[in-house]
Amino acid sequence: MTQEGYNPRILGFFCHWCCYAAADSAGVSRYQYPPNVRVIRVMCTGRIDVRFILEAFRCGADGVFTGG
Amino acid sequence: MAEAARQALEDIGVDPGRMELQWASAAEGPRFVELITKCVDSIKEKGPLGTASNEAGDEIQRRLEAAVKAASASKVRTSFGTLSKKFHKEGDYSPEAIREAISAKVTPAFRKERIAQEIKMLLEKGPMSVTKLAKSVGSKKAEFEKIVAPLIKKGVLKEEKKGLALA
Amino acid sequence: MVEAGRSPNIEILTSATLKSIKGRAGNFTAEVFQQPRYINEDLCTACGVCTMYCPRPIADVYNERLDITRATHIDFPQAIPTSYYIDPKACLRVNYQTCNLCAQTCTAGAIDFSQKPKNMKLKVGSVILAPGFGRVGHDVLEKFGYGRYQDVVTSYEFERLTCASGPTEGHLVRPSDQATPKKIAFLQCIGSRDVTCGNGYCSSVCCMYAIKEASVAKEHEPDLDISLFFMDVRTQGKGFDAARKRAEEKYGLNVIRARVPKIDQIDSKLALTWTTDDGESHSDLFDMVVLSVGLDAPEDAHAIADIAGIELNSYDFCKTSHGAPLSTTKNGIYVAGAFQGPKDIPESVTQASGVAAIASELLKEGRGSQTITVTYPDEDKALEEEEPRIGVFVCHCGVNIAGVVDVKAVRDYAASLPNVAYYEDTLYSCSQDALKAIAQKVKENRLNRVVIAACSPRTHEPLFQETLRSIGLNPALFEMANIRDQCAWVHAQEPEEATQKSKDLVRMAVAKARLLEPLAQPTVDVTQKALVLGGGAAGMTVALSIADQGFETVLVEKSKVLGGNLRKLTWTVDGQDARKILKDLVRKVEKHPKIDVMLDSELESTSGYVGNFTSTISTGGKTEMVNHGVMVIATGGKEYKPKGYCYGESRQVLTQLELEQRIAKGKSGFKTTKNVVMIQCVGSRGEDMEHCSRLCCSQAVKNALKIKELKPDANIYILYRDMRTYGFSEDLYREARQKGVRFLRYTPDNRPEVVKQARGIKVNVYDRLLGEEISIPANLVVLSTGIAPGENENLSKLLKVPLTQDGFFLEAHAKLRPVEVAVDGVYLCGLAHGPKGLEEAVSQAKAAAAKAAIPLVKGKVAVEPIVSRIDKATCIGCGICASLCPFNAIQMVKEGKRKKAETITASCKGCGICASHCPVLAISMGGFTDEEIFAQIHAFSPDGCGEGSEAEKK
Repeated sequence: MTQEGYNPRILGFFCHWCCYAAADSAGVSRYQYPPNVRVIRVMCTGRIDVRFILEAFRCGADGVFTGG
Repeated sequence: MAEAARQALEDIGVDPGRMELQWASAAEGPRFVELITKCVDSIKEKGPLGTASNEAGDEIQRRLEAAVKAASASKVRTSFGTLSKKFHKEGDYSPEAIREAISAKVTPAFRKERIAQEIKMLLEKGPMSVTKLAKSVGSKKAEFEKIVAPLIKKGVLKEEKKGLALA
Repeated sequence: MVEAGRSPNIEILTSATLKSIKGRAGNFTAEVFQQPRYINEDLCTACGVCTMYCPRPIADVYNERLDITRATHIDFPQAIPTSYYIDPKACLRVNYQTCNLCAQTCTAGAIDFSQKPKNMKLKVGSVILAPGFGRVGHDVLEKFGYGRYQDVVTSYEFERLTCASGPTEGHLVRPSDQATPKKIAFLQCIGSRDVTCGNGYCSSVCCMYAIKEASVAKEHEPDLDISLFFMDVRTQGKGFDAARKRAEEKYGLNVIRARVPKIDQIDSKLALTWTTDDGESHSDLFDMVVLSVGLDAPEDAHAIADIAGIELNSYDFCKTSHGAPLSTTKNGIYVAGAFQGPKDIPESVTQASGVAAIASELLKEGRGSQTITVTYPDEDKALEEEEPRIGVFVCHCGVNIAGVVDVKAVRDYAASLPNVAYYEDTLYSCSQDALKAIAQKVKENRLNRVVIAACSPRTHEPLFQETLRSIGLNPALFEMANIRDQCAWVHAQEPEEATQKSKDLVRMAVAKARLLEPLAQPTVDVTQKALVLGGGAAGMTVALSIADQGFETVLVEKSKVLGGNLRKLTWTVDGQDARKILKDLVRKVEKHPKIDVMLDSELESTSGYVGNFTSTISTGGKTEMVNHGVMVIATGGKEYKPKGYCYGESRQVLTQLELEQRIAKGKSGFKTTKNVVMIQCVGSRGEDMEHCSRLCCSQAVKNALKIKELKPDANIYILYRDMRTYGFSEDLYREARQKGVRFLRYTPDNRPEVVKQARGIKVNVYDRLLGEEISIPANLVVLSTGIAPGENENLSKLLKVPLTQDGFFLEAHAKLRPVEVAVDGVYLCGLAHGPKGLEEAVSQAKAAAAKAAIPLVKGKVAVEPIVSRIDKATCIGCGICASLCPFNAIQMVKEGKRKKAETITASCKGCGICASHCPVLAISMGGFTDEEIFAQIHAFSPDGCGEGSEAEKK
């Protein structure tokens, strides 16, 4: 069921070398995507600790996107 | 990491589908856009945290707090680290093998610790009956007793008339 | 490009041409003429306002004239220098003293019409020629209807048409009616492999780029029907065959082996007619035809040759030899890239590094005498330790951000955040004057943390950090919020949401900034000695170059003699005496006072990190320790040993190398030879090994021609899949055909068969033209067996350097870092990297020598400050981190009774796997600590999410 007008809050953990770079390149090409994601840059997805993901949900995230 | 997180989320009543692990290389702008759009759509589908059909409602906030504490506990982390080391050494990273190993080694340790943390958090507000406590933390009687017994022995908890309380 | 632009020791002269070179190696005077840009590079912020106001439209040459730009313009946004310039031919102000609009609208005051053309004399020690390649002439393209039919485009134009930053923003349309084409044909070898246009050579890159362009087009338009017309599919680059196969399968590309002689237009379609090698003739209609244009010699090749006093080859490329591919015919003047011969990016980048090594050998006496080292004031430690005083600067980036995001609202929001002591919005925060202003504000307000909300830290963090350093602040006290690339640009239709997201990102950045701590920027000393593994052509070349650059080198060879695979060669493809090259190399290596050769030796173990390796070398049972700063893998490969084809069962079945040795003995070995059959791709390209061995096609035609010399009436058959005689080797292929060598193509599902008979042997092969199997009685069957990887697994484990699927060592980046590997201080060249001929192996060896010499020359290596730090008091010595580290950057050291983990900061890349797996949370990552990340997570929540909750405290 999709709720009308519901704007989920999503936290992203992006790898500096891969996903963060991909996000930048999407920007350079002016591709458009929904503005629901807030990003925390890490040097590698290996940095991401289970605690971060749980804490993100605790802090009100409706979803977490980890991008390597 | 992702598998451990997914199983932890499942344990505390958060739809594990709320966590996505995806790959996009530096040059894959279009792919990134596709992934993000899909992710946002899928979360929209699920609705706000705690409202999806397989999710714990009001307790979710407390569960999450207990879960973060549990994920910081050295016992849980050791089981996770040791397992990662083993996988790294053997070089077998098939999703099935990872899922199985995490659910055999890491998730039970996590669950135990999470329940213990949650019991402590609940009892901070005052004593509570065993039945109510067990129900609140989502645990069956046998498992609950197994977790509580050592806590009493260590003097973290004490038994009272009303049930259990912090020592 | 950015790096070259940032280096204080590289001066970039644009719009400049070389007028003369006088003097000799080590002491040249070069006369250079420079056209003015009419825009001051230092003042220009690349905001683009001047282009908006410039009234003079001109063709956009960067976009292949498919678009228009203005007389005042920049070629593309990432150009270095990142500054606009004025085309003097079109500018009204320059030609008629009118207009001047750009100067009036430039807020940076960068337009300067007082600039005059300049002549300058430069004192240089050596000259490197890298003018690139030229365009194939228009007349060649016209033969294929280009210019006559609008929908015949060049591959350059097609590249721009499918590029997201191109004139159509990546929407593929055909020029005649702007409709999306449904059916496209790529014609290969336009201006290549074509003696009628004077270009007999193969351009080497077009097969792969056509497949890439076809794939990109399919990504945009999945329903496209694409046919590619090849003579041979020459995807011989490392990993290219695999990439081609994937593309063919994923996108369903039609690969047709035929040359289309001409194109006709029928209504709005293009009609192609062709004949395949089974003799059948076909025709079809297409919406669009792409001409895969080859690489020509630079248009001004003759002028360059005259000025530099060098010779050109018959195709007007720079003349070089396979033994010394980077040297021109004049001492002190060197060449790199496509001017040396058509080549792809990896080979060009490799040659560029290689040529740097040669220049460094020549100029070693004067090294360091003219280099500029940037110095910074001491850090203000007291200020850094004070309560955080954060300055937030929100960038408009012209209209790039401000056109979507309400920048002023974001700035005011920043003011409400704790510890923010100063806030401001700036028009272009990265411009020179804005950087100065930021520095000024930081000083005035005694700020000790800086947050800039602008573009991506990937591109701009170093610039801002430099500013911090220049005023005595540690560069780690800096954080960026990416509100352009990941916000304004991608949420252009949702200004409110974008503004909200910007606020959130600033809040998260400020939360992290509050906790930032200064990070030490340590350097470690380098042991100025190199270890080279492998004493073949590549290994010897590396050792000689490093030694000639002035450093002690230990050369370790497994066998009892130097030479490796070069010992088995008799001639190079360009006809030089391989044994002489070998002898010269061995003599130089053995005589060199700085090279220590260890024969019959192998690497047993290695520990340490860039600058400080310690290796154990075993020599016939005895071991020796060597301390060295860098290491080069040049362990080579080996000739693949064929399975089947009666190899080993009949003395008449040889490999190409075995044949070469027989040829070396002269005529006597071929007295009774009538029929010779060569079989290509034995073991390669999916038979046993997946990769293409790259050199066997040239090797086969080379040897076929040698046999023809010794025995002119011998019948020679070469059974092949694709003849991959790329580059100038195509000449040999043509010569072989002219001399009557017969080439028969086979497909992998119908391989030739070698059959032993009572007397002699015969080869059965399907003749495509006849449409039936034929039997060739053969006196000699020669198997082109290709290159198999050496025993690399062990070394790979020892050094933690990964292998490719094919078993060769994997470079750090296929295109940009082709001779480096994942482990710092370890370099790679020769057959250990992948199959290649002598010419390429030598270039690569020089490149590895150049890269390896960098830490040796500097004497120190700087360590990234984002490394992991291990709290020894907390560490329980479990060793999980050490075993998981992908860079071998954690070692376990004994401290008292227990073992403790210790980071080797020089090897650490800051990935953080150790930290996220530490059971006791003893590891923290510089710039990405648990506390900092938790602070960001908390700030993700608008209400701070119970900041300082128990969870984040250990």
